[in-house]
Amino acid sequence: EDAERGASADLAVVEARRRMLEEYVSFRESMDEDAEEEKLELGLPDDIVAELLAAKQLPTNEDDEQVIE
Amino acid sequence: MRPILLSGHERALTQVKYNRDGDLIFSTAKDQHICAWYAHNGERLGTYHGHVGAIWSVDVDPTCTLLASGSADNTLRLWEVETGKLLHTWEFPTAVKRVEFSFDGSKVLGVTEKRMGHLGSIVVFDVDLDPKAEQTDERSLTIICDESKATVAGWSYLSKYIIAGHEDGSVSQYDAKTGDLLDNVPVHELNQPITDLQWDSDRYTFITASKDKTAKLISARNLDVLKTYPSDTPLNSAAITPNKDFVILGGGQAAMDVTTTAARQGKFEARFYHKIFEEEVGRVRGHFGPLNTIASDPTGKGYCSGGEDGYVRVHHFDAGYFNFYYEVERERMNKLAAEGASKK
Repeated sequence: EDAERGASADLAVVEARRRMLEEYVSFRESMDEDAEEEKLELGLPDDIVAELLAAKQLPTNEDDEQVIE
Repeated sequence: MRPILLSGHERALTQVKYNRDGDLIFSTAKDQHICAWYAHNGERLGTYHGHVGAIWSVDVDPTCTLLASGSADNTLRLWEVETGKLLHTWEFPTAVKRVEFSFDGSKVLGVTEKRMGHLGSIVVFDVDLDPKAEQTDERSLTIICDESKATVAGWSYLSKYIIAGHEDGSVSQYDAKTGDLLDNVPVHELNQPITDLQWDSDRYTFITASKDKTAKLISARNLDVLKTYPSDTPLNSAAITPNKDFVILGGGQAAMDVTTTAARQGKFEARFYHKIFEEEVGRVRGHFGPLNTIASDPTGKGYCSGGEDGYVRVHHFDAGYFNFYYEVERERMNKLAAEGASKK
């Protein structure tokens, strides 16, 4: 009987964790949707940092590009 | 793996910060210089000299070009990471307690101290990431904290909000463009100061540490308290780990406040909690005084802590950390894997 009680207590804990995990995952998903929408509205690039890093690595090529244009 | 001990500071650490690639660590202390270190072996890369007061805060832009620092000498300074050259100095009537770059590095904010005749404030400057560029002296925004001074502040996702933690235990959400106060919520016990505020990698949520012995995970969108992590000691710092759902808390009773100092030597601990289940999962001891600051490696490989004892301890996670999952996490991973396989 004790073992049974223990098992059902464990089950309750596991159920609670399962619920917390689901809640958290759906929270992140709703944030992703919101942020994605706002990024489009604001006309922000998908990965601004990647662009900044690319710009940093090619500082001397600017002149060349201007010649080509 | 054994931690790497960085001994380059002579006074208590105030903040540690990784760059975006996780290969460099920047540290500030009350000893007036900033140190840069290689994260993988603890070798010192350089120091940044110029401040003439304790340095409270440091941040590095996402391209690892510029460093910002805030000091008790009433200045916020910009440095070139690579050369150590001081590029710009902004002066204030009071100390600068916290600095943070926006996610794209286009702006930097500073939290200024409250003092007789001066209210605490949050100031914002536009930044040009080109080290050769002339930086502007013009503030792009000033937020006055007339209710309770801000102790920490940072930029949310898309730099939409400036979020501040206050001395009275509340957090504020400001419109990052106009500086308008949108919301203020008392998340921690009244008049228990918020000592740290750090972001997840998306900047959707932040974690606050407080002297009320708890840390809280809060949504930047509406300041909802999502999770609470209770501990048994006043907290100075809290960090969120990327890739794995943990948070790391640090603090401790200052030596002058405890009678049994000797017994506590080397026993000050960083505490790991599961971010979602709010349960403590482990502790890492080592510091000889309270942990003042903790930072997560943005690549998820490790973390470091800075102590009142003047040391930075760098930890690289081992397999046990990466393999640790709760049963329900495994269950979910297996479910997702099965779904992915059936789609193919």
